[in-house]
Amino acid sequence: MRVLAKLLVSAYALAVYGFIFLPVIVLVLFSLQATSFPIPPFTGPSLRWYEAVLADQRLTSALINSVLVALLSSLAAVTLGFLAAWGFARYHLPRSGLLRGLITLPLTVSYLIIGMGLLILFNWAGVPKSLIAAGIGHVVINLPLCFAIIYSQMGDHQVNIERAARDLGAPEWKVLFLVSVPVMWPAIFAAFFLSMTFSWDEFVIAFLLTRFDTTLPVEIWNMLRSGLNPRTNAVGSMVFAVSIVLALLLELAFLRRRRQ
Amino acid sequence: MPWALVTPALLWTLVFFVLPFIAMVVLSLLEHDGGAATLANYRQFFGNPSYWRALVNSLEVTLTVTVISVLLAYPFAWILAEVVPLRLQRLALVLAVLPFWTSYVVRSYSWLLVLSENGVVNRALTGSGLLSEPMQLANTRAATVIGFVHFFVMLLTLTIFANLKQLSPSYRRAAADLGAGPVRTFLHVILPLTLPGIVVGAFLTFVLAIGDYITPQILGGNNELLMPQLIMMQIGRRGDFPLASALAIVLMAVVTLAYLFCARWLKIERA
Amino acid sequence: MKSVLAKHIRASALAAAALAILAASPASSQELNALIWCDHADPALLQPFEEANGVKVNVKEFEGTGAGLALVEQSQPGDWDVMVIDSIDVRRGVEKGLFEPLPEDQLPFADLFPEVKLDNYTVIDGKRYGITEKFGYNTIAYNKEKVDPADMQSLASLIDPKYKGRIAIYDYYLPVIGMAALSIGKKTAELTEADLPAIRDVLMKMKGNAKLVGEIVASQTALGTGEVDILVGGGEFVTAGLAKENPALDFSIPKEGAVLWSQALAMFKDSKNKDLALKFIQYILSPEGQARLATSSCYWGMPANSKAALTEEEKKTLRFDEQPEFLARAQAYPAPDAALDKKMQDVWTEMLQAQ
Repeated sequence: MRVLAKLLVSAYALAVYGFIFLPVIVLVLFSLQATSFPIPPFTGPSLRWYEAVLADQRLTSALINSVLVALLSSLAAVTLGFLAAWGFARYHLPRSGLLRGLITLPLTVSYLIIGMGLLILFNWAGVPKSLIAAGIGHVVINLPLCFAIIYSQMGDHQVNIERAARDLGAPEWKVLFLVSVPVMWPAIFAAFFLSMTFSWDEFVIAFLLTRFDTTLPVEIWNMLRSGLNPRTNAVGSMVFAVSIVLALLLELAFLRRRRQ
Repeated sequence: MPWALVTPALLWTLVFFVLPFIAMVVLSLLEHDGGAATLANYRQFFGNPSYWRALVNSLEVTLTVTVISVLLAYPFAWILAEVVPLRLQRLALVLAVLPFWTSYVVRSYSWLLVLSENGVVNRALTGSGLLSEPMQLANTRAATVIGFVHFFVMLLTLTIFANLKQLSPSYRRAAADLGAGPVRTFLHVILPLTLPGIVVGAFLTFVLAIGDYITPQILGGNNELLMPQLIMMQIGRRGDFPLASALAIVLMAVVTLAYLFCARWLKIERA
Repeated sequence: MKSVLAKHIRASALAAAALAILAASPASSQELNALIWCDHADPALLQPFEEANGVKVNVKEFEGTGAGLALVEQSQPGDWDVMVIDSIDVRRGVEKGLFEPLPEDQLPFADLFPEVKLDNYTVIDGKRYGITEKFGYNTIAYNKEKVDPADMQSLASLIDPKYKGRIAIYDYYLPVIGMAALSIGKKTAELTEADLPAIRDVLMKMKGNAKLVGEIVASQTALGTGEVDILVGGGEFVTAGLAKENPALDFSIPKEGAVLWSQALAMFKDSKNKDLALKFIQYILSPEGQARLATSSCYWGMPANSKAALTEEEKKTLRFDEQPEFLARAQAYPAPDAALDKKMQDVWTEMLQAQ
């Protein structure tokens, strides 16, 4: 009976892992396809599609754009979110609940709607489409997330540490930068990391708000629309590899810091 | 002083979120060509069956996805949290969400290849003799659902795992001391305690899935339209922003209803 | 704390200034801004022009004419230099006062296939606003190993239950509505609202046979990978690019006729780079440019210039020599007015939603 249960549990876990990895394995395998159709039978291995991707200037510049937009918009979102979280957690503000609700409201709205709203607003204001417009949209979707994560982690023990610092005569800005930020570091980091991930992978806002220079998901979409070939597999596999390496590096840095 | 801290975030939300929303509401009440006030855009939606059918389709797909994802992810998260040895848990969890880092556009495209008539799934099924003819999987609602479920199983595994790990083992011990077996402990103690986490995850699934354009567009084969596709069609084909705005507001109203439904579990509180 | 805030404010002011500069930076004289379809985004087409003139061509893809014109209206005057547009829709841009007349004497009009000059659409009040650069047919593309080629000579086969589940429909309402009109003996140029119910019936029957309705790539993929055997609305733009991979793919011009698609280049009145824009149009219409455009990685199509520098094999794939006969049987895209266009899109939406 126990053995059977164990078997069932293992089988279930393996099946779910299989389901989760199936598209990734197929993606990577057929990026090595030698012919032009990324479907069976497998004709590779060949690196020709990787070469094609690396030679494609639009893709490489889209990659750089994506990194820039993700970094800067996450930085802005974390900064705004942290300051607001600190303000709401440390001081009693009138209508605090309502205002906090306002900041987190975008969490409940689809990206498509946020992107459309910004597009309409920018049209009326005469703001042209650009990467900056897309970045603004990404801050809108990530600010509530950063705020919620950081605010939810601001516990009373942090207040006590800050009070101790103040009692020892530290000016307010020192309390903020030398006490609050380091103490809150895990939450800040988590918020930043999540923002980066969401911005990096966001499609519809960037699609609606950019013009010539665009982000990688939009460029991949354009590529998809321009014909089926294993180039899409190759670029997808590369994005996957780069993302994992980055995630691991960040994870390592984060872990080390936490152990200290 | 405190206002100086919270004002930037509030201002950002007002200018780049509330204001665009107001602009969208106003625009949805204007004519496409001409700009006179009208309810025609809403009438187009409610009066035309093929338009509101998109909302019905969206709700059907999204609810199916939410239910299947929760049902698949909960046992999986439970296995990760309870069965997998502690020292391997982190690795097991990271593995479970690893494909999250493939680009989301590429992920849908990859599913299309997997599910196509000559794709690996059909090859495996016909090759092993389970099927004599390949099934139509790609370009169907089922494909859209599979693509969505893939993403949300990962997301929900993460949230439910975190939820399970937060449960103090003393609850379980207490239940056992009171004579409850594992099944009753689960039904009466663990499940209720993890329910809020499930609701949060399910709501997130609902919001993200109902507003998504890519997955149905790539996998559904346009055999039916979901709301985001209908909205993008107005923008992409005709540049009809008033109608697109009206459709977006209808979609948003539906999400708001879902939010109110789950609201009591969704409060963000400090630890 | 004050100093931090001051710093913060200064930083955001800086960021705002940077934003303003970046956002407002006008197109420099070294750049050409083009609103295009995906075939123009091929580096093999753009790079020779960029290198020869030391300029950069910025491209933005768009889907339908309505959306393209909306993009222009959302931009500042002078943001755009050239645009690719359906030849039949040139008039819509002219009516909005967007386009600049083209100097006929500086373009190779004499070399164009006469049937695709489409003067009644591209010449308005005696001035020419668009020059056709590429054309082809929305017709039946099919896999000749899987279907009976004789059946493909009639549009009626598309609603034959024999091919149930073997069909994909190209997801663009105008050409497919045009084909539905042809199948019931209507002329595409003379469609009115009264024809829509009959056209709707044909579309619904096609949908009943169809496995999917897809954009170029989705339908190309479906046909190329064997997911379907017939593509309604397909043509050389689908099969030619795949000819190397799958030589069994072919297209026919059925006895009822086919719909002629034709894309034109137009120049913007407010362009700040009209010289460069004209150079670009001249390049695209030159024999070399035409060959690259015709065989673009996104989709192939017939070059409008009959002197295009295509290889014999490319000509064969495009069926270059059969063009006179094809053109004789082809009818133009339907060109509905705004009201009929909306009705057609509603019929199309209904077809997509039909179970």
